[in-house]
Amino acid sequence: MPLITIDDQQIEVAAGSSVMDAARVAGIYIPHFCYHKKLSIAASCRMCLVEVEKAPKPLPACATPVTDGMIVRSHSTKAVEAQKGVMEFLLINHPLDCPICDQGGECQLQDIAVGYGGGASRYAEAKRVVRDKDLGPLIATDMTRCIHCSRCVRFGQEIAGIMELGMPGRGEHTEVMPFLEHHVSSELSGNVIDLCPVGALTSRPFRFSARSWELARRKGVSPHDGLGSNLALQVKDNRVLRVTPVENEAINECWLADRDRFSYQALDSDERLTRPMVKDGGRWVEVDWLKAMAFAAGALKVIRDTHGAEAIGFIASPRQTVEELYLFQKLARALGCESIDSRIGQADFSGRRAGVEWLGMALADLNDLDRVLLVGSTVRKEQPLIAQRLRQAVKKGAQMNVVHCADDDLLCRVANKLIARPSELVGALAQVAKAVGAKIDGLDTVVVSEAAQAMAASLKSGEKKAVLLGAVAQQLPAASELHALADAIAKATGATLGFLVAAANGVGGGVVGCRPGQGGANAAAMFAAPKKAYVVLGAEPELDAADSAAAHRALAGAGLVIALSPFKTASADYGQVMLPVAAYAESAGSYVNMEGRLQSWRAAVPPRGDARPAWKVLRVLGNQFGLTGFDQDSAEQVLAEALPDGEATVRAKLNNEIADLTLAHLSAAAGIERLGDTPIYQTDAYSRRAPALQATADGQTGHAALACGALIARLGLSEGKPVKVRQNDAEAVFNLLRDDRLPDNVVRLASGLAAAVHLGPRFGPISLEKM
Amino acid sequence: MDYLQQLLGPAWLPIWTLAKIIIIVLPLLIAVAYLTYAERKIIGYMQVRIGPNRVGFFGYRLIGLGQPIADAVKLMTKEIVLPTGADKPLFLLAPVLAIGPALAAWAVVPFTEDWVLANIDASLLYIMAITSMGVYGVIVAGWASNSKYAFLGAMRSAAQIVSYEIAMGFALVGVLMAAQSLNMVDIVNAQRGGFWQWYWLPLFPLFLVYLISGVAETNRAPFDVAEGESEIVAGFHLDYSGMAFAVFFLAEYANMILVSALTSIMFLGGWLSPFPFLPDGFFWIAAKMSFVLFLFLWFRATFPRYRYDQIMRLGWKVFIPVTLIWILVIGGFMQTPLGYLFH
Amino acid sequence: MISAIKRFFNTFLLIDLLKGMAVTGRHLFARKITIQYPDERTPQSPRFRGLHAQRRYANGEERCIACKLCEAVCPAMAITIESAQRADGSRRTTRYDIDLTKCIFCGFCEEACPVDAIVETRIFEYHGERRVDLYYTKAMLLAVGDRHEAQIAADRAADAKYR
Repeated sequence: MPLITIDDQQIEVAAGSSVMDAARVAGIYIPHFCYHKKLSIAASCRMCLVEVEKAPKPLPACATPVTDGMIVRSHSTKAVEAQKGVMEFLLINHPLDCPICDQGGECQLQDIAVGYGGGASRYAEAKRVVRDKDLGPLIATDMTRCIHCSRCVRFGQEIAGIMELGMPGRGEHTEVMPFLEHHVSSELSGNVIDLCPVGALTSRPFRFSARSWELARRKGVSPHDGLGSNLALQVKDNRVLRVTPVENEAINECWLADRDRFSYQALDSDERLTRPMVKDGGRWVEVDWLKAMAFAAGALKVIRDTHGAEAIGFIASPRQTVEELYLFQKLARALGCESIDSRIGQADFSGRRAGVEWLGMALADLNDLDRVLLVGSTVRKEQPLIAQRLRQAVKKGAQMNVVHCADDDLLCRVANKLIARPSELVGALAQVAKAVGAKIDGLDTVVVSEAAQAMAASLKSGEKKAVLLGAVAQQLPAASELHALADAIAKATGATLGFLVAAANGVGGGVVGCRPGQGGANAAAMFAAPKKAYVVLGAEPELDAADSAAAHRALAGAGLVIALSPFKTASADYGQVMLPVAAYAESAGSYVNMEGRLQSWRAAVPPRGDARPAWKVLRVLGNQFGLTGFDQDSAEQVLAEALPDGEATVRAKLNNEIADLTLAHLSAAAGIERLGDTPIYQTDAYSRRAPALQATADGQTGHAALACGALIARLGLSEGKPVKVRQNDAEAVFNLLRDDRLPDNVVRLASGLAAAVHLGPRFGPISLEKM
Repeated sequence: MDYLQQLLGPAWLPIWTLAKIIIIVLPLLIAVAYLTYAERKIIGYMQVRIGPNRVGFFGYRLIGLGQPIADAVKLMTKEIVLPTGADKPLFLLAPVLAIGPALAAWAVVPFTEDWVLANIDASLLYIMAITSMGVYGVIVAGWASNSKYAFLGAMRSAAQIVSYEIAMGFALVGVLMAAQSLNMVDIVNAQRGGFWQWYWLPLFPLFLVYLISGVAETNRAPFDVAEGESEIVAGFHLDYSGMAFAVFFLAEYANMILVSALTSIMFLGGWLSPFPFLPDGFFWIAAKMSFVLFLFLWFRATFPRYRYDQIMRLGWKVFIPVTLIWILVIGGFMQTPLGYLFH
Repeated sequence: MISAIKRFFNTFLLIDLLKGMAVTGRHLFARKITIQYPDERTPQSPRFRGLHAQRRYANGEERCIACKLCEAVCPAMAITIESAQRADGSRRTTRYDIDLTKCIFCGFCEEACPVDAIVETRIFEYHGERRVDLYYTKAMLLAVGDRHEAQIAADRAADAKYR
């Protein structure tokens, strides 16, 4: 290991590291703009010039590899002169508009200009002006401020996997711009706001609303995907004004998906429920908490006394906290009801599962995988940061094998792929299973295709391997069979079986027992055979459920629906009681992420209006029934009761094995079928109510029906025109668009949208008719 | 006057006495009012300010001459606050105890040879007796207020007055030795013969001691530790407001005028003219009193407040020895042929 | 010995006290420096720091750009600003309040302002009969600025060469 001297400090650093790395290890700050530890080296800003002994000129610290015996001076006269000179050049074209710049106060250029810049400018000529670019609803631009560090460009290439920003032109004509005037559509695009060292790229929803020094930074955890990304909720006057990442190498590194970053807008949504409401003679009346609680408890008591406890269904969103889900199931069980579930989007509950499904490994291990079999997942639209990790793995040489219903672009090189219709997916995975020689019954009739053979060959080689089941694989009507096949493949190849858990607390719900007990109905059964009453915690069942039509029918037909939600959901139509509960930043709580990590946080802002943390509401509801064990004073107490040993309790319950299953769906169904996956910004109540997210290209997907060109031609339809979609007995009108990435006889019609509620299950036969 | 005397018969004497009292007290009160005005004006001038100059009469400012009247009206219309913890009868009695002696002493003060309410033989003794009573008002006020600041103020004031009374008494002993009389008319007459015959010169140390003790007796700056607004807020009259406070105020200023009158009589020859070619008369005593009062104000404008232990040291360790020694000196001289100097 | 005697006589003849009285006695006759406000007034500097005002440009556009530097620098925390993007895309305040009961008239806000929007005028004779009267909102500050723009501009111009 080379021994080098920086500023009279001798340190030993790994061979191949740069002077900048060495300085960081030594704790010496070298000013820089273009250097970023997660990005490649550009050496374009020249701010990090340092004096190296025996070098004729100052060298950029970020791009100079260390050699043994090197002597570096970062604060010598020569180095400081060089840095000052660079600073003066950078400021030549940088406008002096800090007072109106949103970056003001947290700007690297501002900070370094104070430390290394002159007090006055010698430059009297005209400064250049660059036309602002429209980068969509998330990112505001003031391109005149750009100092061409190219961080945003490199981020697109290296992390987001799609080069949406480029830097054409030379010299003074260099401009950062999106190609062909496209918006930036990456699901990770918000990170360029953090990366930009100046105010050229700033947050559009946040624009001009506060200064960095006014904001209190409070820790939080993202309520969206199963990662549990660490958030810094930036608060002023008890409002969350923006969200930035908290660095956590084990989870989100220094990145944040746009969904995590911008969904805070929902906290200020007009649809927030702020007062307890009770339906009285068909009209909603605002009442106080005491009345609402008494009414809810009384009504539930009547149902229980007349129809029995099993006439009540308890449905929770898997994005509620551990504490809330624990008290929710505790309340249900104390009332004698076993129909409890938080797996609201799942359709297939068959088979005997050994435990709670999880990722099967640590998130950080994803970067080091050699072979990946990704089943039923457009991972970059489900867990954008997992896609980022897999992208890094592929860059390092991992082979990505995909079995999916659509040939979606994962923005990384895919080694082998099998694209099949949803009903064919079991058959497709069975081919892979047979090819790898998996030990599972029922594979005799399966014919192995060439692609499956190649996939098997790929999976048999390599060291670290994983079979990952995505959202579609978990939601299909034959999901348990996919699970069993994946399990068998994993066992045959020595891979780890992992579930890409879609919801922030999907694992936590299972761990605390938010699952039906003996004789209880699961989420799907609760809607298939309607209950007399439902208690809904945080969920929007008509949007989230596997069969939205059945869920809506069941809820609308029930005599009593008690909704605990931060928002006025569709329960305003069918509910009888709406209790306002705190949203994710407004209450203390904990999530268990998909790798089994328990993360707790405190409330960042007080709940809106009269809303109360859901765990308190559930506790008081328990008191209303006179139940014992509902006297917790804090979220910490509830957590200690739910998970006595913390993460150890969680780990003991995690298991991806499945048994008692026969493969019954090996042959495909005939006819056209629906692929009803949920678009990235329709997954939960928060992202649905974030206007900026909804305005993006991803927010607009799902509002149209997609089919491949061949199918459109065969049915005699025309793309871009409205088409009548019929599923079961229901019909709806959608615009028909062409997407040749879909296999034949598949219509992609998103779920999770109000327009598609009445159509029915996410997967199943569907027909298109000309208008 | 004889006619009136016959008409009223035995009722004449009290009515005539009452009329004489009013003739003395009314101008005295007016003098008090305008002394406050003079104080503010003179101290203002010494501090290079103008002082009150806005309140006048009938729309004219008249260099602020209406100010004392306005102040009096203000004080009279203000609420008298009775503290809940106070001893109410004593609280209300205290101002009366303060003003009573201050006015009663005037009964024996001669303004000219004939202008005196009661020309009694032991008038000097009467003065010393009655002025000693004034301290009761202060002590009772401090006690009755039931407040620590008021009580501290009263304690300080009592100790201070008692201390200086001794020095003051010895100073007057020197005067009566020289005059060989306790009657104040006689004392003045003993100084007849012009400016140089007045007792200020032969009894110069006693004159100084009396003057300074007089300042201390009236609790005036620089001996105003009883009020000490920077340490004990306002001292004994902290809890008094409105007219009750005004009465204390009157008493203080009446005492000042009294001390100036006594100083004029004992040491400055009373109504006697300083020069033999000018006639004697009331004018002279008024002028001498004004001069002494001006000194009072001058002191206040000049000297910072004494520390409490310094006051006690001055009283006990300087003034009392000085007066004792000077009495011995006088006594000694009176046995020598030079004794005429003191007659 | 001699100095001890000297000190004794100085003390007993009250020499030092007489010296003190001579000083006050002299001042009794000195020219008085009192300014008879409101009949007379002291001259005001162009830098006088009185009531605040918000200025506009000649075209009527408000100067304030909601940079919040005055709010940050204010030692009494008397300034409250909320900002937002205006319809034309510019950065503007939606709220600009100065609580004059908190303000200590230090002038830092004026110094911090990059566009000379918040200024302190020569006005010092203003009053309120309720506390809320001294809570100046953006509209009130702009109104003060509109009323006294000529004086404000003249004062800035007079002071410009020293800034």
